[in-house]
Amino acid sequence: MSEFMAWLQNSALGHAMRESGVWTYAIVNLTHILGVATLFGSVLVLDLRLLGVWRHITLAAVTEPAIPLAASGFFIAVTSGVCLLATKATDYIGNPFLYIKFPAIGLGLLNVVLLNFLPAWKERKVRNLTSREQLQLAVAGGVSLLCWLTAITAGRMIGYW
Amino acid sequence: MRQPFFLCIALVALTVSFSPVLAHHGWSGNSDKEFELSGTVESGVSLAGPHATMKVRSNGQVWDITLAPPPRTEAAGLKEGVIPVGAQVTIQGHRNLDPKKFEIKTERVIWKGRTYNVYPDRK
Repeated sequence: MSEFMAWLQNSALGHAMRESGVWTYAIVNLTHILGVATLFGSVLVLDLRLLGVWRHITLAAVTEPAIPLAASGFFIAVTSGVCLLATKATDYIGNPFLYIKFPAIGLGLLNVVLLNFLPAWKERKVRNLTSREQLQLAVAGGVSLLCWLTAITAGRMIGYW
Repeated sequence: MRQPFFLCIALVALTVSFSPVLAHHGWSGNSDKEFELSGTVESGVSLAGPHATMKVRSNGQVWDITLAPPPRTEAAGLKEGVIPVGAQVTIQGHRNLDPKKFEIKTERVIWKGRTYNVYPDRK
């Protein structure tokens, strides 16, 4: 862990972040927030639908905008997040919130992978789901909400440690 | 439409209830008492985010000097390279509450009779 952080801090990215102007960190931080907002905003709508809110809107109609938005938000958050971390990576060694945030992100991604294996998820575009299948998707939605809320909460707390 | 509306309100309330516990970014981990340190600059001002930093050696101990965010530190006149390595400086601020952490959240840096006030609204 500390070797990785030292390597990241001494990388070209770390140098660029530290040496390219006084507003660089703030602007990359802003990008990170926009990425997180895009990810969480779309995930919130999708997960609430999976949990049974707005049943009169078909699941397929919700997933069509929500999935590409969540994926783009995630990509923006990860790339800007690596830049923020690289600035002073070794400062975060031992920060407990980091050790909550990254496993929460890992679980959130694992949940996405598992969801994609559920037959109910693939069938959502072609037929109405049984109540058992809806329950499976509701569990995935609940787990997702919990993972991303944890990741965001822990992420916000990193700077206060 | 009523049910989702209340659900959203509940979610917002849950999120907000997490936040008031925390005081202002960073200062809560530092002593309330004013702290002053005199020493020589070990490594000069760096204007990297989230906070500008420098290192000062005093009685053989190297201290981490945490300054304001980069734009504010620069606005106080404390640009990179202004104070050379080896210069004699005085730091005023608040030291870390952990006695093993030699870190000062800095309000003022004094060098050659000039005061760089990075937090002018703090006493």
